[in-house]
Amino acid sequence: MDTLSIVRGITAGDQRIVARAISIIEEDNDRSYEIIRSIYGMTGHAHIIGITGPPGVGKSTMIGVLSRKLTEMGKKVSILAVDASSPFSGGTILGNRIRMQDTLSRYGIYMRSVSNRGMTGGLSRSTWNIVKVLDAAGSDFIIIETVGAGQSDIDIVYLADTVIVTLAPGLGDSIQAIKSGMMEIGDIFVINKMDREDSFFALKDIMDNVYERNGWMPRVVGTNSLKGEGYDDLIRAIDDHRTFSVAHGGKRRIRYREEVRLALSRIVERHVWKEFGKLLESGEMDSYYDEHLDPNTVATEIFAQNNGLSQGNSVERRVEF
Amino acid sequence: MEAGKNLSSSRPIKVLLAKPAIDGHDRGIFVLARALRDAGMDVIYAGLLPTPEQVVDIAISEDVDVIGLSLLNGAHMTAFKKVVDLLKERGVEDIAVVGGGIIPDDDKPKLEAIGVTGNYGPGTPLSTIIEHIRKRGEEARKKKEM
Amino acid sequence: MDSFWKKKLEGFNTERKNEEYERWVASTLAPWNRQTGYRERKYQNSSEITIKEVYTKEDVQDLEKKLGMPGEYPFTRGIYPNMYRGKLWTMRMFSGFGTPEDTNRRLHYLIENGETGLSIAFDMPTLYGYDADNPRSEGEIGKCGVNVSTLRDMETIFKGIDLSKVSTSMTINAPAAILTAMYLAIAKKQGVPFDKVSGTVQADILKEYIAQKEWMYPPEAHIRIIRDMMVYCTKNVPKWNYISISGYHIREAGSSAVQELAFTLADGFYYVDLGIKAGLNVDDFAPRLSFFFNSSINFFEEIAKMRAARRIWATVMKEKYGAKNPRSMMLRFHTQTSGYTLTWQQPLNNIIRTTIEAMAAVLGGTQSLHTNSYDEAWALPSDGAVKVALRTQQIIAEESGIPDVIDPLGGSYYVEWLTDKMEEEAYRYFDRIESMGGILEAIKKGYIQKEIADTSYKRQKRLESGDEIMVGVNKYVEEGEEPINYLKIDKKAEEAQIARLREIKRTRDEAKVKKALEDLRRAMLDDNENLMPYYIRAVESYATVQEISDVGREIFGSWKEPVIV
Ligand code: B12
Ligand SMILES: Nc1nc2c(ncn2[C@@H]2O[C@H](COP(=O)(O)OP(=O)(O)O)[C@@H](O)[C@H]2O)c(=O)[nH]1
Ligand SMILES: [Mg+2]
Repeated sequence: MDTLSIVRGITAGDQRIVARAISIIEEDNDRSYEIIRSIYGMTGHAHIIGITGPPGVGKSTMIGVLSRKLTEMGKKVSILAVDASSPFSGGTILGNRIRMQDTLSRYGIYMRSVSNRGMTGGLSRSTWNIVKVLDAAGSDFIIIETVGAGQSDIDIVYLADTVIVTLAPGLGDSIQAIKSGMMEIGDIFVINKMDREDSFFALKDIMDNVYERNGWMPRVVGTNSLKGEGYDDLIRAIDDHRTFSVAHGGKRRIRYREEVRLALSRIVERHVWKEFGKLLESGEMDSYYDEHLDPNTVATEIFAQNNGLSQGNSVERRVEF
Repeated sequence: MEAGKNLSSSRPIKVLLAKPAIDGHDRGIFVLARALRDAGMDVIYAGLLPTPEQVVDIAISEDVDVIGLSLLNGAHMTAFKKVVDLLKERGVEDIAVVGGGIIPDDDKPKLEAIGVTGNYGPGTPLSTIIEHIRKRGEEARKKKEM
Repeated sequence: MDSFWKKKLEGFNTERKNEEYERWVASTLAPWNRQTGYRERKYQNSSEITIKEVYTKEDVQDLEKKLGMPGEYPFTRGIYPNMYRGKLWTMRMFSGFGTPEDTNRRLHYLIENGETGLSIAFDMPTLYGYDADNPRSEGEIGKCGVNVSTLRDMETIFKGIDLSKVSTSMTINAPAAILTAMYLAIAKKQGVPFDKVSGTVQADILKEYIAQKEWMYPPEAHIRIIRDMMVYCTKNVPKWNYISISGYHIREAGSSAVQELAFTLADGFYYVDLGIKAGLNVDDFAPRLSFFFNSSINFFEEIAKMRAARRIWATVMKEKYGAKNPRSMMLRFHTQTSGYTLTWQQPLNNIIRTTIEAMAAVLGGTQSLHTNSYDEAWALPSDGAVKVALRTQQIIAEESGIPDVIDPLGGSYYVEWLTDKMEEEAYRYFDRIESMGGILEAIKKGYIQKEIADTSYKRQKRLESGDEIMVGVNKYVEEGEEPINYLKIDKKAEEAQIARLREIKRTRDEAKVKKALEDLRRAMLDDNENLMPYYIRAVESYATVQEISDVGREIFGSWKEPVIV
């Protein structure tokens, strides 16, 4: 399919073309940049909700309920869920869909599972651009489920307009969160599984520990996702945070800076590694080895000698404002 | 963030594993899911009792390369065919359909004829299955890239 | 809290030093091995317990205390004083396919050939509470068992069979209360009083969430229905085993023998708690609980497992639950040989595998036995294949001399050590499960399922690498094998069942159906109401399995399994 048809399909919200476009985006090549460049003008409408939290707290189940409620309110919702790849094979079991499939089928909601492809931070490198596709496809809300590895799921802070940290009673999840720095990233804290005995303690733990950040006092909401309880409060909290962030310029400038940084590092990696990679394979290495030169000195020298960054590989001004 | 690794832009083969009928035999499909992951593929398992419609919806949304259908309950002739028909109905030609489970020899050519290949039964080495799915996945990927 | 399990665990010392063994290894075995060579492989059983070359007296702990005599606490050697000299095990062949007429014929055939207990297999739609005319049932009617949509189908299955003379086991779980109601309705029609009705429904819903994956509602809803069955039958159908706590499926789903033992008994303890919570006296209902184990191919491991199961059950019933009636402490069980160990390749080899497994079950002291047919991996068994499987049991029973002596392996250093070891490992699991909040929590978290899937994958990888052997599959493979004759289910069964269902829906008294379903609905909303009488009235009105199941679907909703891959 040619790029023009893909772009048209995306903006028309054609799920099949969106699905194909996301695959191309995942390939992370020139074609994917071309698509993003072409649709970028149509992005910026969607409100991005990031959902993070330890495994098993009910993130996927929550997304099922939340997406249903938002759809019933007439909103167009898309979902992206990230799973971790196996460090050994690079393969990934994409397991978030099962919990929400019934809702997805009933309401025709688009959901996509992606592998983090070995990235730390809770997202995949492609997530940022996939969000652009879902945005250009007319989503009002894009809900992202991060890998769920707890404290290292930090990248969502840059990507989402609203970060929801989800916790559940039992196994001391709330205590863990307080200790591990998750208190700093949530705009909303959800204690899920409120049907369980010890849930009010968890709720209280979090309430006692939230504090105002940049003018926003995080909300704490309790939900029971098996029964769909607490979602009116949750949706109100999301809406309030959205209003707040629109009024305050929100995180979008931060996100933008992060996107450029990521794009930059990608370019650096691609181009620079191509060069340096060759060097690593060359006979020069053997001579350094024989000379017993320390690796750090070698690297510094190689970098200085081949400081070709500014030549040939200049950063094109691709991003349109 | 890793550096230098994974520079190649090629995406792993993506497989949807599903049991598109009333069948709770999931031991085999769990084994396959792990084996395919360990062979470097991306794997989605559709969970128990998905309808053929759901299977096709998932396959399209996730843009998978291969749908792996597993049934041990004898309903393959009806259920596999439903999946194939739905794909056709929706004009999908670039997703391969591979089957397996308790499939009598007599049914294998009939399934092949509607485009369901493999149809491996008990005792098939994982290596044979992985190889077949990889091959079919690569074919599908080529079609997608056209 | 000092846990019961932890205290039990302290009583084991299965890894103790064995000086005689060590002396022998150093002075006799090792030099011999060096000289003659030896087979390099891992000596391990399914439970990944490493097995030594030989066992001695020093490996066995407190033998006298733990062994006891047959028919005496802790029943390690068997639950009856005379075991098979009193009565052979019940030969119970799991059967059912196609239409109720087909199955009725098969049951008569088995009775004529000397089978002593009936066992009904249902098809997929029935197992999941769907009717024959549901679009989801297309292609599945009669394929995996017999189809039952209304009481009429059950009447046909049992045509010419006197319910006061047979005991019937039904492999049904999610809709177990409905099928029990149907069976009781037929008894009523035949004029057999409820206290003469004997048989078993599986109704072990916990192992459904763990292994067989047949459920309609969330666990709590099914558990409530089971509770009602327990209470109702304890009072009204005293010879009805309303629950058969099953390890079979857990094992077939891929668990090890120890996992089968531990998870099954953990389920069992859950049901004991349930009965107590429902206000029953332990000694009034525990004797009705029975078990269902797998007999797989590692001969001694299976025997040890069954012996350990008996000992654990007796000990825990007595010490933890304060049971007084010895019957509450006796673990009665049915056994089925392992379907998983049977191969599609070289199917006649399966007869040998089944024989070994059946012998283990008898040496393990089973009360009833199903032997799989050699065409297991092909299709539901053909008449001929079932007959060989039944004859296998008859040969063991009447020719081999195996049943003549009770627990003939009792006192074997190896078997006694392994029994201890498996018992210990089971206690370890009980402790872990308790620390997770109990078996139901562990299931909801997917812990149990994941443990099983892990074991299953490990086994598959060992087959792949050749560390484990399946003859005909990864060793001694033959190319171009001839296909065997196997049972084919006529597509006509589907048409016939749909036609019959339509006919019944046309002719039944709709008002009566409606009222029965409405009454059931109201009873379901009231946790204090016992559902059994409502189920009986509903089936008697010829309401269908799905109509009855749908009432619960509306009230209780459905359930999605945790992600465990
Ligand atoms: C294990 C088992 C069970 C377990 C299942 C546990 C679980 N969670 O999976 C239990 C005991 C619960 C069970 C129950 C039943 N079972 Co069963 N079961 C088996 C058994 C013995 C082995 C299946 C197995 O897991 N093998 C091991 C795995 C690793 O192998 P596999 O699944 O075959 O997969 C391999 C290949 O087939 C292939 N493959 C499979 N799928 C796919 C898909 C793709 C895309 C590819 C490429 C390859 C592939 O690759 C795998 C690796 O080699 C078979 C008989 C047999 N020996 O095959 C009967 C069998 C499948 N069961 C049968 C029946 C009837 C039932 C019941 C309906 C019985 C009843 N009436 O109550 C119930 C229904 C359960 C349900 N909810 O669906 C029948 C089916 C008859 C038919 N098709 O005509 C069989 C054939 C036995 C028989 N002869 O009667 N069963
Ligand atoms: N009791 C209870 N269980 C829940 C609730 N929400 C989710 N669960 C269960 O928690 C488990 C994990 O859910 P999942 O959505 O996969 O969690 P994730 O790993 O955070 O995405 C599943 O078994 C859910 O059914 C809830 O509100 N109450
Ligand atoms: Mg999830």
